[in-house]
Amino acid sequence: MATHVAQLSDRTRTENRLGRRLVAPAVVLMLIVTAWPMLQALYLSLFQYRLTSPDDREFVGLSNYVTALSDSLFWKDMWNTVLIMVVTVSVELVIGFAFAMVMHRIIFARGLIRTAILVPYGIITVVSAFAWQFTFSLNNGYVNSWFSWLPGISENTNWFGEHGTAMFAIMVSEIWKTTPFMSLLLLAGLAQVSEDMIEAAKVDGATWWQRLTKVILPNMRAAIMVAVLFRALDAFRIFDNIFVMTKGAQGTESSSFLTYRQVIEQFQLGMGSALSVLLFLSVLLLAWLIVKFFKVDLAQARGEG
Amino acid sequence: MVSGLRGKRRRRIVAAAAAAAVAGALLAACGGGSDGRDTLVWYINPDPAPPADFQGAFGQAGIAERCSTDRYRIETQQLPGDSTQQRIQLARRLAADDTGIDLMSLDVPFAGEFADAGFLAEIPDDVASRLQEQGLEGAVNGATYDGRLVAAPLWSNIQLLWYRKSFADKTGVDPRQGITWAELIDSAEEGGGTVGVQANKYEGYVVWINALVMGAGGEIVTDLDQGAEASIDINSDAGRAAASVIEKLASSTAAESDLSVSNEGTVLGPFAGDSGAYQVNWTFIYNQYKSDEQVFDDLGWAPYPQTVDGQPSRPPLGGINIGVNSSSGHIDEALEAMECITSVDNQVTYAIETGNMPSSGAAYDAAELAKAYPADLLEMFRSSIDVAGPRPITPYWSDISTALQSTWHPADSVTEATPGRSAEFLREVLDGKRLL
Amino acid sequence: MKQNGLGHWIGFVAILVWCLLPIAWILSLSFKPVAETTSGSPQFLPRTWTLQNYKDVLANDDFQRALLNSAGIAAIATVLAVIFATLAAYAIARLEFRGKRFVLSIALAIAMFPVVSLVGPLFDLWRTFGLFNTWPGLIIPYMSFTLPLAIWTLSAFFREIPWEMEQAAQVDGATSWQAFRKVIVPLAAPGVFTAAILTFFFAWNEFVLAISLTSTTDARTVPAQLSFFVGSDQFNPPYSQLATASVVVTVPIVVLVLLFQRKIVAGLTSGAVKG
Repeated sequence: MATHVAQLSDRTRTENRLGRRLVAPAVVLMLIVTAWPMLQALYLSLFQYRLTSPDDREFVGLSNYVTALSDSLFWKDMWNTVLIMVVTVSVELVIGFAFAMVMHRIIFARGLIRTAILVPYGIITVVSAFAWQFTFSLNNGYVNSWFSWLPGISENTNWFGEHGTAMFAIMVSEIWKTTPFMSLLLLAGLAQVSEDMIEAAKVDGATWWQRLTKVILPNMRAAIMVAVLFRALDAFRIFDNIFVMTKGAQGTESSSFLTYRQVIEQFQLGMGSALSVLLFLSVLLLAWLIVKFFKVDLAQARGEG
Repeated sequence: MVSGLRGKRRRRIVAAAAAAAVAGALLAACGGGSDGRDTLVWYINPDPAPPADFQGAFGQAGIAERCSTDRYRIETQQLPGDSTQQRIQLARRLAADDTGIDLMSLDVPFAGEFADAGFLAEIPDDVASRLQEQGLEGAVNGATYDGRLVAAPLWSNIQLLWYRKSFADKTGVDPRQGITWAELIDSAEEGGGTVGVQANKYEGYVVWINALVMGAGGEIVTDLDQGAEASIDINSDAGRAAASVIEKLASSTAAESDLSVSNEGTVLGPFAGDSGAYQVNWTFIYNQYKSDEQVFDDLGWAPYPQTVDGQPSRPPLGGINIGVNSSSGHIDEALEAMECITSVDNQVTYAIETGNMPSSGAAYDAAELAKAYPADLLEMFRSSIDVAGPRPITPYWSDISTALQSTWHPADSVTEATPGRSAEFLREVLDGKRLL
Repeated sequence: MKQNGLGHWIGFVAILVWCLLPIAWILSLSFKPVAETTSGSPQFLPRTWTLQNYKDVLANDDFQRALLNSAGIAAIATVLAVIFATLAAYAIARLEFRGKRFVLSIALAIAMFPVVSLVGPLFDLWRTFGLFNTWPGLIIPYMSFTLPLAIWTLSAFFREIPWEMEQAAQVDGATSWQAFRKVIVPLAAPGVFTAAILTFFFAWNEFVLAISLTSTTDARTVPAQLSFFVGSDQFNPPYSQLATASVVVTVPIVVLVLLFQRKIVAGLTSGAVKG
C-alpha cells in the first residue's frame, strides 16, 4: 500500500514537472510581452507624465482616472466602441450563420468556397480598410454610382463627411473582414449537431424554423458563445479600420483610438496609461458578461476539468 | 511513412527559416561606412517622386551627396509621409537619446516642442547669425524659440491665392490688387464657381484658421514662454472675424461638396474643372498644372486674401527646417553639415528639382529659378514668405492644434460662438482637466 | 446525399461575391493609371488598363526589402509559435500540473489586451536590450499574441486523440517522445496547420507594432511600409501604388490559402467538418 502511494505521488510529481516545463516557454514569452507593459501602465497611470518634458513628472494618484471617467469624450468614444461592437457582432452572427448553413450543405466546389472564405481573413487589415475607404470615396468610389437609386444616397454623398455615414462605412469594412471567420467557427458548431436529432424533429412534424430554433441553435450554444466572445473582444479593440478610414474624425473614434492618441500622438504617458488600464478592465468586464449571458461553463466548453 | 514525410517537411521549413534569419541578420549588419569616414544619418521627410528621366540622387538625397566631405558621409533615411507620424517617430527616439539620428528634417510646427524638450543641439551664435542673415524673416521666425534660433530653414512653403483668370474677368474682380475673403466668396458665388480650401480635420485646417486670425491682427495664443499657462487669445474680435469667414464660406454655394474632408490634394481636381475659380494653396500649384495647357494658361496668382478690409494678410508658413540631434555623437560635423545643407546653392537646386521654394532671399535671384518661374511669381513668393504668419511656436502646439481641430471641425458647424467655446476647451485641456 | 437546391446556389454565389468583390476592386485599382485616379474615376473597371503601377512598385527597393522582412518575420514567428504552442497544448490536454488554470487565464487575458498599450513599454524595453528595429523585436510580440489562440486550437485537437493510442504505442516499445512524434503529431496535424496559419496571418497583418518598433527598412514590414509610399502630390496617398502593393502582398496569402484550405478549415472546425 505504501509503495503504491509512493509510486502515485512520484508519477504526479513527474507529470507536474513535465507539464510545467512544457508550458514554460509559452508562458514566459506571454508574460514578457504583456506583464511588464501592464505593470508599467498601472504604475505610470498614477503620474502626470509627458514624454517631451520628463522633468515635469509628478505624482497625481488617481486623478487621471477621475479626469478620464468624468470626461464626455471618453464616454462618447466608449459609446462608439460599444455600438460598433454590438452592431458588427450581431450582423456577423446572422450573415455568418447563413454562410455556415450554405457551406454545411454544399457538395460542390468546396475548395473554392473555402479559399474564398479565408481570403478576407488573410488580407492585411490596413489594405482592406484602404480598399473600403476608396470604395466609399466621393471622387473615386463606386458606391455612389452603384447605389444612388437608394433613398439617402446620391452621386455626391460624402460618406466620410458625417458621423452616421462614416460609422456605417467603418462597420461595413469591419463586418466584411471578419464574417467569414465567424462563419467558420459557427460551421464547426453546426457540424456537431447530430443529424439524428434533426431527423427526429422532422419526423415529429417540426417546421424549418422550429427545427432551427429548438434543435440546432440550443445545441450550438457553446460554439456560438466562443464565436461571439472572440469577435466581441476583437471588435471592442477596433483600431486599424478607424485609423485608415477616418483617423477618428466626425466623432468616429473608438476607445482604442483614444488611447493611441493620448499615448502615441500626444506623448501623455500618464493619462494614456490610465486609459489603457481602463480599456483592459472594460474588456475583462465584457468577457465576463458574455460568459455569464450564455450560461455556458467556459471550462466545459473547452472540455477542461 | 506519412509522419516521416511531415517531419522532413517541417525540418525543411525550419532550415529555410533559419537561413532567412541569418540572411536577415547579415543584411541588417551591412551598411556601415567602409571607407573610414564618419557617417551622419539624416532623417528626411519624403520628397515627391522624381520625374522619370531624372538621373542621380534627387531632392534631399542629392543635397546629402553634395554636402558629404572627405571627413564624413551623409546618409539619408526616410520618415513616414504623414507629418504627425514623422513627429511621433522622431520624438519617441529622441526622448530615448537615440544616437542613430544626427540630422533631421523638421516640419515647421515641431521646432517649439523639440527645442523645449532638449532634443535639438544648441546652435552656436556665429552660425545662428549667419543663418538669420541668410533667411527671410518669416522663415527665421518659424525656426526661433524662446529668442534663439533652434533649427536652420531649408525651404519655405507659402500659400497664395491661385485663380482662373477667365473666372476673375467674368466677375470683374482683380485679386492682385488685394481682395478680402468676403469679396472672394461673393465673387465665386456670383460666377457659379468654388473656393478651394483645406478644411479636413487635420493640421491644414488649423493652418487656415491661424492665417485668418493673424490676418485680422490677432493671435491664437500669446505669452508662449509661460508654457501651459500661455494666454489664449482666440476669443477676440480677430477670432470672431476668422469664424465669420469660415461660416460664410461653409454656408455659401462656393464651398466644395467635400469641404469637411478637403485638403491640398482634393481641391486640385475641381479647380481644373468647369466650376474652377479660386483656391488657396502652396507653391506646388504652379508646377501642378503644367501638363494641363488649358488650365495652365488660365492660371493666375495673387497674395493671400485679407481677413479684414485694410489689414494686410499674413499668409500661412510651411516648409522644412534642419535640426541637429542633441544626443548625436557627431554634433560639430552635424552643425557643419547643417549649414551646407541649407546653403543658398543647395536651396536653389532643391527648388528646381522639387518645386519647394527657398527660404533665403538671395536664392530668389538665382538664374536657374528665373528660368523656371515667371519673375512676378518669384517676387510674390519671396514677399509672402517675408510677411508670413507662422503658427505659434510652443511645445504645446500639438495640443492646441488638436483642440482647435476638434472644436472648429466641421467647417459648417462654425459660428460666432466657436472661438469662445474653443478657447474654454483649450484652457481645460492645457490645465489637464479634459481629454483631448 | 441531398441535392443542392437553388437556395444553395444563391448562397454559394453570395458568399463568393462577398469575399471577392473588394479584392476585385483593388485589382481593378491597380490597373488604373495614376492620372485616372487623381482626377477621379468612379467606375469599377479602369478606363485604360496599364501595368505601369506594377513596374513601379516592384522596382521599389524599400518595398522589396519590406516584403523580405514580412516573409521572414512571419515565417520565423510561425515556426516558433507552433512549437511553443504544441508543447504547451499537449501539457494542458494531457497532463495535470499545478498552475494549469493560471496558464489558461494568462492566455485568455492576452487575447483581450489592447495592443496600443504595448507600444511605449515595448519600445523602452527593446531599446534597452538592443532589439529595436530588429527582426526578433517584432517576432517576440507577434508570437506572444498568437499563442493563446494557437494553444486553444491545438489543445482541442489533442483532447480528441484518445489516450489509448499513445499507450498502445508505448506498449509496442516506443518511448514517450517517439509516441508523441509518430502518433500524436500526425493526428494533430490539422490543428498545427491552423495554429501556423493563424500566426502567419497575424504577423503578416500587424500594423501598430510594425510601425512603432522599426525605424528603417532593416526590419520594417509591409503594412508599415505602405505608409511610406509617396505619390505625385505630397498631400494625397498614391492610390494606384497602394492598390498595387496591396495586390502584391495579397497574392502569397491567396496562394497559401489555396494550398492549405482543407487543413485550415479542418483545424478551425476541430475536425468536425468533413473534407
